[in-house]
Amino acid sequence: MGLTSAAEAGPPRASHSPEAAGDSLQKNGFVVTSVDAVMNWARTGSLWPMTFGLACCAVEMMQAGASRYDLDRFGIIFRPSPRQSDCMIVAGTLTNKMAPALRKVYDQMPEPRWVVSMGSCANGGGYYHYSYAVVRGCDRIVPVDVYVPGCPPTAEALIYGLMQLQNKIRRTSTISR
Amino acid sequence: MTDRYETLATRLDERFGEQVTLVPSTCGEITIEVARSDLIAVATGLRNDADFGFEMLMDVCGIDYLSYGKAEWATSSATGTGFSRGVEREPVILDEAEEFDPRRFAVVYHLLSLQHNMRLRMRVYTGTDNPPIVRSVVDIWNSANWFEREAFDLYGILFEGHPDLRRILTDYGFIGHPFRKDFPLTGNVEVSYDSDKGRVAYQPVSIEPRTLVPKVIREDNRYSQDLKDSGNG
Repeated sequence: MGLTSAAEAGPPRASHSPEAAGDSLQKNGFVVTSVDAVMNWARTGSLWPMTFGLACCAVEMMQAGASRYDLDRFGIIFRPSPRQSDCMIVAGTLTNKMAPALRKVYDQMPEPRWVVSMGSCANGGGYYHYSYAVVRGCDRIVPVDVYVPGCPPTAEALIYGLMQLQNKIRRTSTISR
Repeated sequence: MTDRYETLATRLDERFGEQVTLVPSTCGEITIEVARSDLIAVATGLRNDADFGFEMLMDVCGIDYLSYGKAEWATSSATGTGFSRGVEREPVILDEAEEFDPRRFAVVYHLLSLQHNMRLRMRVYTGTDNPPIVRSVVDIWNSANWFEREAFDLYGILFEGHPDLRRILTDYGFIGHPFRKDFPLTGNVEVSYDSDKGRVAYQPVSIEPRTLVPKVIREDNRYSQDLKDSGNG
């Protein structure tokens, strides 16, 4: 698996970096790889999250997107429409009233799709665990891939969570043998 | 109380007489109590009379006086080592009760007179009815619309004559009125996604309520009665 230079001697070099692909292209004029690797490379390199800011966590999510942390350099660009997204960041307290809307947005996202639960409230109700109006964890409503702890998590923590999601996507093989 | 408010108190007494009861207030403003049957007459007068001119309704709140003035825990038996969470709650009146204490629920109207630069609070007790019911003031102050919906949602107080008395804050399948003192903190229902039905569905609540008082309450020597009595405090 991975990008392999066809003409090079020695063991095949596994790499996802565009530099390696570019090097191979310039030297040899072609690249050999598996479809899985290309798909995972494309998916991890353009992870477009659906913005679902529900509370104070959303401010940290904005920080992660703004110039200092700059999610754009990971190819992570926030989309305002679930139809264009492949990842949803549930940032904040999910209330009972919002739960059907969250599920509807999730259902509108095209496959493959992933969910990042950001902060204590989304992970398990957090501060509002005993409240009459709050869902005790957004995993009661949608399947969650990555839980980012914190109240709220720092922008670094959210980026780390997104990188973990990228690692998870890299491990999947869409075309299994 | 400033002169303006003394004048207002006198005028209220002259204009409404028996319909209005002045409540002692500590903040230099006036609070009046009005019987439920007199609400519309008094409210119309307060709004339209040139002496009052309370043309703005700032807020309408419900109040539940069920446990008013009662501490949830008393510290008289505390020792130097503190005590555990053994808290006995007062038995509460359930919603099924035939009738309420006449002074359990109240509706408070916060009024502002721009032309006289004066504020006034008006309190109406809902009486023994279950569910509690008062006349709506939407026809007098239009801003009461959402305030009354809020009071209905959170306290279950009905407003007779309201054009659209729906819940405003809680979710669409909610059961109960959360600001009532006998409402359990965790509520009665919770939501989760039901993959068979393909939608978010309600179930009875699955977690146990917890005691919300501090685990250990230590005696503070500064306020100890023994020390005060001995003259060292």
